[in-house]
Amino acid sequence: MRITIPPRKTVIEDIKDRGGSVAAVLPIHYPRALLRAFDIYPVEVWGPANVDVSLGGAHLQPYVCSIVHNALSFLKMGGLDTVDMLLIPHTCDSLQGLTSILLDLIKPKQPVFPLYLPRGQRAEDVVFLAEELRTLSTVFSDLTGKHPDNDDLLTAIKREEASDLLLRKLYDHKRQMGLSNSEFYRLVRSREYLPAEQFSVLAEDALQISAKLAPGIPIILSGIVPEPMEVFNTIDEMHGEIVADDLACCGRRLYQPGTSSEPFRRMAEGIIHAPPDPTRGNSIEERVKYLLKMAEDRGAKGVIFYAVKFCEPELFDLPELRNALKKHGLASINIEVDINNPLPHQAVTRISAFLEMLDG
Amino acid sequence: MGINDSLKYYWNVKVVGQPFLQWQRWQAERHPKIPSRWRTDILSPPLRIGARTKELISRHYLEGRYANGHRPVAWVTSGGPVEILQALGFYVLYPENHGAVCGVRRVVVDISTEAENAGYSTDICSYARTDIGSVLSGKTPVGRLPKPDLLLACTNICQTVLHWYRVLAKHFNVPLILIDTPFVYTEASDHALEYVKKQLENSIPVAEQVAGHTLDYRRLQEIIQLSKNAAELWLEIIGRGRHHPAPMSVFDQFIHMAPIVEMRGKQETVDFYAALLKELDENISKGIGAVRNERKRLLWDNLPIWYRLRYLAENLGEHGICVVASTYTNAWGELAPLMNKEKPLESMAKTYTYPILNQGTKYKLDTMKRMVEKFQLDGVILHSDRSCKPYSIGQIDQRNLLIQEYGIPALLLEADHDDPRAYAEEQVASRLASFVEMLES
Repeated sequence: MRITIPPRKTVIEDIKDRGGSVAAVLPIHYPRALLRAFDIYPVEVWGPANVDVSLGGAHLQPYVCSIVHNALSFLKMGGLDTVDMLLIPHTCDSLQGLTSILLDLIKPKQPVFPLYLPRGQRAEDVVFLAEELRTLSTVFSDLTGKHPDNDDLLTAIKREEASDLLLRKLYDHKRQMGLSNSEFYRLVRSREYLPAEQFSVLAEDALQISAKLAPGIPIILSGIVPEPMEVFNTIDEMHGEIVADDLACCGRRLYQPGTSSEPFRRMAEGIIHAPPDPTRGNSIEERVKYLLKMAEDRGAKGVIFYAVKFCEPELFDLPELRNALKKHGLASINIEVDINNPLPHQAVTRISAFLEMLDG
Repeated sequence: MGINDSLKYYWNVKVVGQPFLQWQRWQAERHPKIPSRWRTDILSPPLRIGARTKELISRHYLEGRYANGHRPVAWVTSGGPVEILQALGFYVLYPENHGAVCGVRRVVVDISTEAENAGYSTDICSYARTDIGSVLSGKTPVGRLPKPDLLLACTNICQTVLHWYRVLAKHFNVPLILIDTPFVYTEASDHALEYVKKQLENSIPVAEQVAGHTLDYRRLQEIIQLSKNAAELWLEIIGRGRHHPAPMSVFDQFIHMAPIVEMRGKQETVDFYAALLKELDENISKGIGAVRNERKRLLWDNLPIWYRLRYLAENLGEHGICVVASTYTNAWGELAPLMNKEKPLESMAKTYTYPILNQGTKYKLDTMKRMVEKFQLDGVILHSDRSCKPYSIGQIDQRNLLIQEYGIPALLLEADHDDPRAYAEEQVASRLASFVEMLES
């Protein structure tokens, strides 16, 4: 790869060396700017893959998804020992349960902060979320002794918004940059732990690259998280080209800048008006419309739904989404994974057959 | 609303159906029959109120069968704030209750297979699969379900209902009212309660438009009072479990809780629970217990295993064990004090934010401990319900804490509330046998 992405561990060490605090943040949506205004650096935890799940299994039933299982296992094995706090957005029933047992029953050494995200896009949802963020801000003030004013908050917000705009630009210029799927998604996913200013530099550098790749079979990837990341190698090897995605950790977080000059409201607007996401209650129609437009704009021929087993928010929508895509001539397949396992051979075969079919 | 549909409703429900169901109940009350293979050596005969429960539930589904075109119909989640809809004259259907009926009648596999064949994963809630399967195929053990004119999903029991009702909204193409109740990790904030109240306020014009008339606030107050009265009676009924022997087991409660879930805000529900309370008091005065030779008493945590109620009652009853109380049935009564007709929306916001399923794992653990003390129980069975993550996550630690910190024997039982394919009888039997042995040692 022509861009060097600093590893997560180094980034965390640098932050600590500078005297900053690190918050481990679980999926999906949260106000990066609010944390940064308190000199707290968010580092996201999407599992991670390949950990000893028996540690989480001592507290969670097998029918809880592998993202939550792995996050708890990772915490128990000391993987989050260097972080100063945990922020867990209320994304689904499983993350709600994890937050609750961490607050009440297991109690890690770091403080745990929940964040409730409303399930609608109505005026009252924005008002409520702004108040939630204001409450969180008070908690962070008590924790850090810092009291950023509105100007400080707006500076942090604008820094994140600038970084989000660059992220969007990366998607728009993917083909011109000539990055493989693997390279591109390693870059995009570095937003999960790089401070905005560092990510922006990296993104600007990437946008300078001009090296066209031969066009592949254009597809959209939809789901929560593309783990194991081998899935990109598989798609690369089979000449698939992910022209857009509807992934919770990537494309569903292409936040538009908020419009309000009141910082809490502006952060709330950014989250609530993000691309459609079932965990935030967007309707199936909105998701269909969004996927169809994405496919039309980017010339996608098919959609790979890449679902984590037991993930209800994804699983409920699949039949209706797939039916609607089919009606509009878009093929799709559903691959179910456990992020702790290597990509099953069966999944590789199915992706291969799907791409061949689209190519035919 | 059409005249033909109304005529059909009156003829089938009022003229034919209701009198027939009433006659059926009288017959059953005059000549009570013990169900075949009922283990009378272990369990007391079923409560007499059973005939009335059957009449109420049958009438409810009968009314639903002919409701379309005569009354507006709403499908609502079990923890939904139903009082506004009742006051507007909606016929209210609870798909979860229908799911429970399907579970008791053991038709879940057949119906949910219809949903699975349409692409719905077996990993989603079995109530939802059963409901979607029923919608897609028309299969139901209750005759016919009315189509909804309005959907109302309240997230105070789980996020699953949000995803499920979005599917229904797409299928039926009708408005979906969402009442989002922020999860209470410790205490609900003022802005959370204000948020719920605002959503309740905003739901009124949507429901009014579907109903075709405006809400009468005095009627709403009456209905809130009726809901409160029924919930208070239900709490008293559950409280009778403090007597030794307990006059009613949770397996009876699971059956007789149907009206408090799907018929809140009705005078007949209040009358029904007053009659049930009277019967229990009679049984207490005669020393009649649900289990004939009650020696040990247990708490049940989580939803029932609908398709194995009798098996569990008999299996435990054989050892003189009565499951006396449940955090689940308790949930339908414990919020009664919060309801206040003088502050309808404000009190509804609070009531519907605080169900046990919308509160943290510590609250549930404390509730279990409190109930063990109140009902003088010997142990707890925690049903780890594959289809209900909000209720089940935390149970592993709760079980360990009950045993280690409070010295309360506790058993974790893996199953699913509706889908028998996630239930292994041999395994359940052997775990129950070991638990019973431990309780007796």
